[in-house]
Amino acid sequence: MTPPLYIALRFLTHRKRALLLSLSGVVFGVAIFICTQAQTQGFSRYFIESNIGSNGALVVRSRFRPRYEPLMVAAKNSKGTAARRQYFEGITNPNEIMRVSRQFPDVVSCSPVLRGTVSARSGFENATVDLYGVDPALHAQTTDILHQLIDGNFDDFRNNTSSIIIGSSLGELLQAGVGDTVQLLAPNGEYWRFTVAAIARAGIGSIDSTRIYSHARVAQALLQQPSGASMIIYKLRDRNRAPVLASRFETLFQHNALSWQEREESTLQLFLTLRMSVAITVSLIILLAGFGIFNVLTMSVLAKIKEIAILRSMGYRRRDIGAIFLWQGALIAAAGSVLGCLLGALMTWGVSHIPIHLRGLLYTNYFLVTWDWRHYVFATCLALVAVFIASYVPARRAAELPPVVTIRGSR
Amino acid sequence: MSAQISLSCEHIERYLGEEEERVHALRGVSLEIETGSVHAVVGPSGCGKSSLLYILGLLDTPDAGRVLIEAETVSHLTDDELAQQRNKFIGFIFQFHFLMEDFTAEENVIIPMRKLGQLADAQMRDRAAELLQGVGLGDKLRRPSRHLSGGEQQRVAIARALANDPKVILADEPTGNLDTANSERAFELLQNLVHERGKALLLATHNPAIAEACDWVHEMRDGRIVESHHRNA
Repeated sequence: MTPPLYIALRFLTHRKRALLLSLSGVVFGVAIFICTQAQTQGFSRYFIESNIGSNGALVVRSRFRPRYEPLMVAAKNSKGTAARRQYFEGITNPNEIMRVSRQFPDVVSCSPVLRGTVSARSGFENATVDLYGVDPALHAQTTDILHQLIDGNFDDFRNNTSSIIIGSSLGELLQAGVGDTVQLLAPNGEYWRFTVAAIARAGIGSIDSTRIYSHARVAQALLQQPSGASMIIYKLRDRNRAPVLASRFETLFQHNALSWQEREESTLQLFLTLRMSVAITVSLIILLAGFGIFNVLTMSVLAKIKEIAILRSMGYRRRDIGAIFLWQGALIAAAGSVLGCLLGALMTWGVSHIPIHLRGLLYTNYFLVTWDWRHYVFATCLALVAVFIASYVPARRAAELPPVVTIRGSR
Repeated sequence: MSAQISLSCEHIERYLGEEEERVHALRGVSLEIETGSVHAVVGPSGCGKSSLLYILGLLDTPDAGRVLIEAETVSHLTDDELAQQRNKFIGFIFQFHFLMEDFTAEENVIIPMRKLGQLADAQMRDRAAELLQGVGLGDKLRRPSRHLSGGEQQRVAIARALANDPKVILADEPTGNLDTANSERAFELLQNLVHERGKALLLATHNPAIAEACDWVHEMRDGRIVESHHRNA
């Protein structure tokens, strides 16, 4: 143990009230930071997982016509803006696109979807629904549909072309359960009868309240669509590679490709803003704790002026004196961070057991939290930086104190 | 003088304060302290005794002149180097004991040893116990310094000054805060240490009895040494 650390430890433990005050600031700052980040990211991550689990990490949609920009000549009175893309609904040759895209190492699987909006009725209830015509086997490979089923059986859906899977909230709205009949209105005015094979809950309100899955061929006939797929959804090995892959697919297939980050940009920004806002608020708590430590150490320097002069007379250098006060800050930061991390984990666990009845944007019965080691590292780093800054000024002040002035003043 | 010079200064000038309050505290002071001798600096308050002690103890720097430890000039050294010299060669004793309140008697004695870093923990404890036994505090090693009496605190300060076996001990009115019995005891202790262990001691004092018992007495007035005489002279 170095002499400054030895002395710092003693100074610190002999001022218990000041130590407790400084320590509690860091402990609560770190703990609250961890807990709030776990909550905000918990909701955000749940949304992302559910969204990707239902809609894929990447979607290839409408074909577009290449712009051939080098060949274009701007009109004299035009402002020279680039011509907009012209899109054509649906996927041209989906099987070929899927065959080629499966060659990419990032692609785990892909599933064609024929999508359309139709009216559904069951008994006396009506609703406008988002019909997803899918290949059951491919869709089960690409999405989390199997895990999302809360009632019924996926095999019943796979083996029966006149069966459907409906979203849980939609089921409640139509008052339709497994085995019940739901009628879908075709564009030509005919009602098609389907049996509910299963109920799915994605956990996202906008999906659960509108979505119906049917067999792709049945959906194609019902919607009277010439194209076999209006989009292809992808499951990726690394979902963070989705933007890069989307850009490549656009160039390669001349179809609009959208990553989940782009698709859910507005919601993700909302979550990010919320996280940032909470992080800033909690960082202020940690800074306040730092300010508390600054005060405590400044008071300590004033209280220990005599001891500093004694140490200097005994041969302790300026940097040794500075180190004594920096060590005090470091010890508070280290102990505060460890205790703060433990308290943060405990608080996070406690919060995750608080029941809430959320049925809007997300579906959950308890607070959603994320267990992420980075929250703990970041909170610790933040505490260390705040405490270092708070300790530096008093430490420097202590180091600069001329011992002779103190000794003369004490005579 | 044929004895070896432990500490000396030549033509020391020192000003204190700023502008109108500026005082010429030391005016060309020169002094030599030999090994195994006890020197006293006497004079009225404000004559420059303490200022001289702080400069000789490398706690303060002179505006002119130089300080030498064993014939080596130290005035040009950096702050860190001066701190090292203080740690190794000089032991300080102050009027108000100046012990570290949060530490025990033993720990107070160990603190300079920790800085020097030449002994292991067990060796430092043994040496502290030996020094405290030497000053009659062998039974109060673990007692917090603030729970010791004034006389006991001053004896701990003496033991601490000897912790790194310095060649020179500088004492600024070491008995100024003690009653007669404790004063005599503390001085006797210092005198014995100097003669038995071959140290050099310079003390500033107002106590004529103590001054008369020293080998050399230097009388100061208005920042100058106006008279120096040996006890036997």
